[in-house]
Amino acid sequence: MIHHIVRKEFADMIRDGRFRWSAILVGSLLLVSLAHGWVQARKASQEHAAAQATAREHWETQGEKNPHSAAHYGVYAFKPRLALSFVDEGVDPFTGTSVWLEAHRQNDFLLRPAQDATAAQRIGALTAAQVLQHLVPMLIILLTFGAFASERERGTLRQLLATGVGWRELALGKALGASGALALLLVPAAVAGAAALVVANPGPTASPLARGAVLAGAYLAYFVVFLALSLAVSARARSSRTALVFLLAVWVVNGLVAPRVAVDLSKRVYATPSAFEFARTVEREMADGVEDIAPPDRDESTKRLLAEYGVERVEDLPINAVGVYLQESEEFSNRIFDRNYGALWDAFRRQGILQEVLAAAAPSIAVRTLSMGLAGTDVEQHRHFAEAAETYRRDLMRQMNGDMTENSLTGDFSYAAGAELWESVPPLEYEAPPLGWVLGNRILSLAVLGAWLAGAVLLASAQVRRAEVA
Amino acid sequence: MTARTVLKNEWRLLMADRPLKIALGLFVVLLGYALTNGVVWLRFQERTVEATTSGNVERASALRQELEAIEAGGQPSSPFADPRSPRVLGGPSGSHTAVLAPGPLTALAIGQSDLLPYYYDVNIYTNEASFQQNGEVENPLNLMVGRFDLTFAVVYLLPLLVLALSFNVLSEEREQGTLALTLSQPVSARSVVTVKLAFRALVVAGIVLGVSLLGALATGGFGSPGRILLWSVTVVAYSLFWFALAAWVNALGRSSAWNATVLVGAWLVLVVVLPAAINAAAGLLHPLPSRVEMVTAQREASNDAVNRRSELLARYLEDHPEMAEGVVADEPGLGALSWAATDAVNGRLEEVAAEHDARRAEQTALVRRYRFLSPALLAQEALLDAAGTGDARFADFQSQVRVFAEQWREFFVPAIMADEQMNAGVLADVPTFSLVDGDSADPACRATAPLAVLAGLLALIGAAAGVRLGRVRGAD
Repeated sequence: MIHHIVRKEFADMIRDGRFRWSAILVGSLLLVSLAHGWVQARKASQEHAAAQATAREHWETQGEKNPHSAAHYGVYAFKPRLALSFVDEGVDPFTGTSVWLEAHRQNDFLLRPAQDATAAQRIGALTAAQVLQHLVPMLIILLTFGAFASERERGTLRQLLATGVGWRELALGKALGASGALALLLVPAAVAGAAALVVANPGPTASPLARGAVLAGAYLAYFVVFLALSLAVSARARSSRTALVFLLAVWVVNGLVAPRVAVDLSKRVYATPSAFEFARTVEREMADGVEDIAPPDRDESTKRLLAEYGVERVEDLPINAVGVYLQESEEFSNRIFDRNYGALWDAFRRQGILQEVLAAAAPSIAVRTLSMGLAGTDVEQHRHFAEAAETYRRDLMRQMNGDMTENSLTGDFSYAAGAELWESVPPLEYEAPPLGWVLGNRILSLAVLGAWLAGAVLLASAQVRRAEVA
Repeated sequence: MTARTVLKNEWRLLMADRPLKIALGLFVVLLGYALTNGVVWLRFQERTVEATTSGNVERASALRQELEAIEAGGQPSSPFADPRSPRVLGGPSGSHTAVLAPGPLTALAIGQSDLLPYYYDVNIYTNEASFQQNGEVENPLNLMVGRFDLTFAVVYLLPLLVLALSFNVLSEEREQGTLALTLSQPVSARSVVTVKLAFRALVVAGIVLGVSLLGALATGGFGSPGRILLWSVTVVAYSLFWFALAAWVNALGRSSAWNATVLVGAWLVLVVVLPAAINAAAGLLHPLPSRVEMVTAQREASNDAVNRRSELLARYLEDHPEMAEGVVADEPGLGALSWAATDAVNGRLEEVAAEHDARRAEQTALVRRYRFLSPALLAQEALLDAAGTGDARFADFQSQVRVFAEQWREFFVPAIMADEQMNAGVLADVPTFSLVDGDSADPACRATAPLAVLAGLLALIGAAAGVRLGRVRGAD
């Protein structure tokens, strides 16, 4: 019996002109956005790889100079575009793409692509994620708001039930029929996406296919939530019009209102300092130290070295005391940076977590978070790269100061190292975090989306059971 | 039956319709919430602006004190930061913060003000790369999602309210069988629909403008009445556009359900799909050159400059013969040498930036052309311009800072080239930045085209609706 229902629903839908047109629109937007995203991601990926190679070349060919001058010269790090970023560009347009790794300072990531775009571009970017998160649910609503309500209005529901088909079977049949119709546009997109990953990987990522599979699963769950909600509303609503109005209201709140309200709330609860205050605090703490973090004392440091080496004068030290002091300053400033940047990142993380919790009111927030996480374009993975770059900077400074300490004497400013030292520094090689790390970060969203899934399915079965025939 | 009777009855009907009252009430609550958000953001920016201003004063007075102490025989606090040196006094430690005060109606439209920098520390080293800095500290996630401000409520939510209020103005009468009765009176369908929609437009626009004016009143935005007028005209034109669309769809004589589906579809396409598609088209047809190239170019220019300092100095003096006088030709000071290198790097950066800006302008022009397809984009642009939080005001600020940086250099560089020392006396003459804010005529001028197109669309659809409605008879 059920396959008759499925076939009938499926045939109804693909014969319906409204569905055909909206499905063609959504399907082509999905394919175009995938292609667009892929082209952009590949271009950015190649540019960044080229720039990173040039930066390395600059470092290696900087000529003979004092290691501390080389430390000031520093290197640039460019954030790689990860493979799946073509599906969801996430926060990438709003994070910087490059950072200067130099002596004494942890710099900010600069060059946010969004700063070069116009205000119009903030109204909406056409990415596959946007289509999947907003337009496909709309399509699901349009397909199914009348599933029960229209049949009831036409009086065909009574006839249908008179044939002996159960409510559950009927609901399942309608759900499967709609899924079949949706599969016509979603499966080709998924295949195209997977093919793009396999054939011409646009960028590096640990296990892109596994990430892609989980990503597809998350979206599938999100669609089932909408399908179940829509059927539940259709079963209970007095008329198909009421069902449509209610579902549209849900859609507006889910996709438009709730995410923005969540942003405002998270900002109120976990406030961040202004850029001005932040810079001032770092500057002040760098000058005077803070709490138990004191700036290194140069005389103290020299005295300790003299005692250690059992000599009277700095000139007699077998090492360069300046190099030791420079390294001590680095260690000091690193603690100041860790303290301030750490607090800022933590505030961002808390804001993100609060928004994940608020996904209880709007599943789009949960699926958005998962989507960005799996695509490697969320704030946490930006931080992961930022921290890798900062660790690299600190290692680099340690090597430069160490070389200066060991190979020159205090007060000798003529010492110059060469290409051999520069080449001995390994290039920055970034490894994107594995799938487990991403999912571990996103347990909350997984749970909330799971709860939505279970809740929506239960609601649908309860509402269908209690539905009225006429 | 006069227009007054229709209005009176409409008011009674509205008061009797609970779901509609709830929808209107909810809209007012959302507008209030949006306004609060805007005000909180405005206050945050105002505090920063205040802090930068007092920072300028503090820095200047600390330098004055130190200079006076040195003149009285004291020693500079550090030999590397001797304020008598023009490279120090005009350098980072003596820099002047140029700041853009929040747009007059920021409380109504946060716009680009959470993304674009609104203050720069200007000193002799300010160059094109200095403009590549981040704005306010902000969670990128929040920037991506956007804020719930009045502009968002107007652009996205207002059309939905308009459609909910008017998708069935005529179809309902027909479905309830009252249309024939109404039209048996000496009124036309056209005037009935016009009055009904005019009443709804009054309610909707009244609410939005009321909240906007309240916001302007609370945040001192009345200082720029032109901007408030522009804001109000845009809100009215945008909401009338959606009313006209509803009138036209109603005039087609289909069922209320059909009207609702078509109007929601129109909203989806015009507000959600088209803006995204336009952005994607612009990105594909005119891809922006990446700023990443700028980093590499800067690096290469400075490597090159450092190696060729003396040669660059000679060229600099050829280009600026007025500077040559103070420089000892055969033994230029370190300051002069290093300035020549800095100047060469700046020149190269300007070239790269100019190339980038030219391509960016091309892309922007394309987006601006396509925006005529979407009333939502037109309205957004006009609203941001009116509020002073659109791209134009930030671009204007940046070019003023560029001019100011040039003045700053003109003040200090001759002394650097001549290896002169400065004293407390010059502090009074050091240039300071004062923003010349384009008065409201400027945004009004920019908003003319989008508003004209919006008005044109409105007139077109309104006329089509009028013609169609003229043919409606009670008997159909």
